[in-house]
Amino acid sequence: MHLADGIVPVGMALAGYGASAGLTALSLSRINRLPDPGAGLPRAAMLVTVFFAASLIAIPVPPASVHLVLAGLMGVCLGWYAMPAILVGLFLQAVMFGHGGLTTLGLNGLIFGLPALAAFALWARIGGRWPDLAAAFAGGGTVLLALALFAGTVLLGLPASVDPAAERLALMALVTAHLPLVLAEGVIVLVLLRVLRRVEPRLLAHA
Amino acid sequence: MPDTITPRARILASLVLAFAVSAVTSPIMLPLLAMLAGVALWLGRAPWRRLRAPLVLAAVFVLGLGLASGTTVLLPLGPLALHAEGVQAGAMIAARMLAIVALVRALLGRLSPQALADGLRGLYLPPVMADMTLLTLRYLDDARAELARAELARRLRGGPVGWRGLPDRAMILAASLIRAQDRAERVWAAMRLRGHGALRAAAWPSAGELGVIGLAMACAAALLALDIAA
Repeated sequence: MHLADGIVPVGMALAGYGASAGLTALSLSRINRLPDPGAGLPRAAMLVTVFFAASLIAIPVPPASVHLVLAGLMGVCLGWYAMPAILVGLFLQAVMFGHGGLTTLGLNGLIFGLPALAAFALWARIGGRWPDLAAAFAGGGTVLLALALFAGTVLLGLPASVDPAAERLALMALVTAHLPLVLAEGVIVLVLLRVLRRVEPRLLAHA
Repeated sequence: MPDTITPRARILASLVLAFAVSAVTSPIMLPLLAMLAGVALWLGRAPWRRLRAPLVLAAVFVLGLGLASGTTVLLPLGPLALHAEGVQAGAMIAARMLAIVALVRALLGRLSPQALADGLRGLYLPPVMADMTLLTLRYLDDARAELARAELARRLRGGPVGWRGLPDRAMILAASLIRAQDRAERVWAAMRLRGHGALRAAAWPSAGELGVIGLAMACAAALLALDIAA
């Protein structure tokens, strides 16, 4: 579900960089307001590596497979650190594994960063009272949100010469193919957050 | 690609060239983009297996758009047909993507994780992000190996595969997160003691770095001028 290089017009890619930079600046300003901004850094970096490695886990959806996104889980565990962490992860994925792209880094940052921050906000608001509901959103809900953002970006970015009906059909097929991921990630994040709540609630104490 | 080019200059040159390639829209530029990708691949000496995913994606674009879009039939395929307009639009996207992937591989593909982190720090990245990159790169291989070991152990114990294995995989992830939390502070403290971290100020670009970036900008300007003229 990463936007590759060369798909969207260069103006849109630059706008993505601008919007991602704005969201990152907001996140960093909130991090800098903490009593010790560096205190959460090691945990954030270590979690990025686990999320990075976990995103390589394939879920079989015949005839192919889909990969975990885990943006919602990053939001719940990292809070405001999630946006810079996602950008770092996406940059490394683009350079080291060729997932996503360098010009689309900003847009991909928005596609995964906005759902992560939404999961963080929802967890902070209702995570105490209805943790399973918030966990279900952090799992399946954020994948749906990321899918919607991805599809919207592709719809806006494809050349005008492409038949709009065919474009919508292709995107519907793509979204349908990813629906099992919504279910899979929902199950994984729900189980994972239940375990963390019982065994290591410190991991869910974020900014 | 000469190893004397600094990581910071490589990252900046990659960005400049990638955006220039991304701005190309004229179909007449397709052979030039293909040539650029070929030269970059030769310079980068990237193994072919690492290009499998971009090549598959490129083929999906050409075939997908060719089948779904356009009116001029290029090749009838039973009930379907490959259309010239769709193939052309797909080929442009595919050529841009492959050229950028090849350029990034050539310029950044052989940098060590430490060099990559140094390059990002040299770009005046906020300290939080520079340190996060450094620590992520330091721990990445350990985390991947640990997850792979846990997954192998789960399967050897006869753990369910496919969808029935999802709860087990969630437990493995939870265990990895808890271990990472325990290890994080110790690893970071040790790295700071060895002099890592974003406290070192980034140096002003050297003449060599400015030369590389200038050359990349000149190439980008030439590519854009050719595209406008085409």
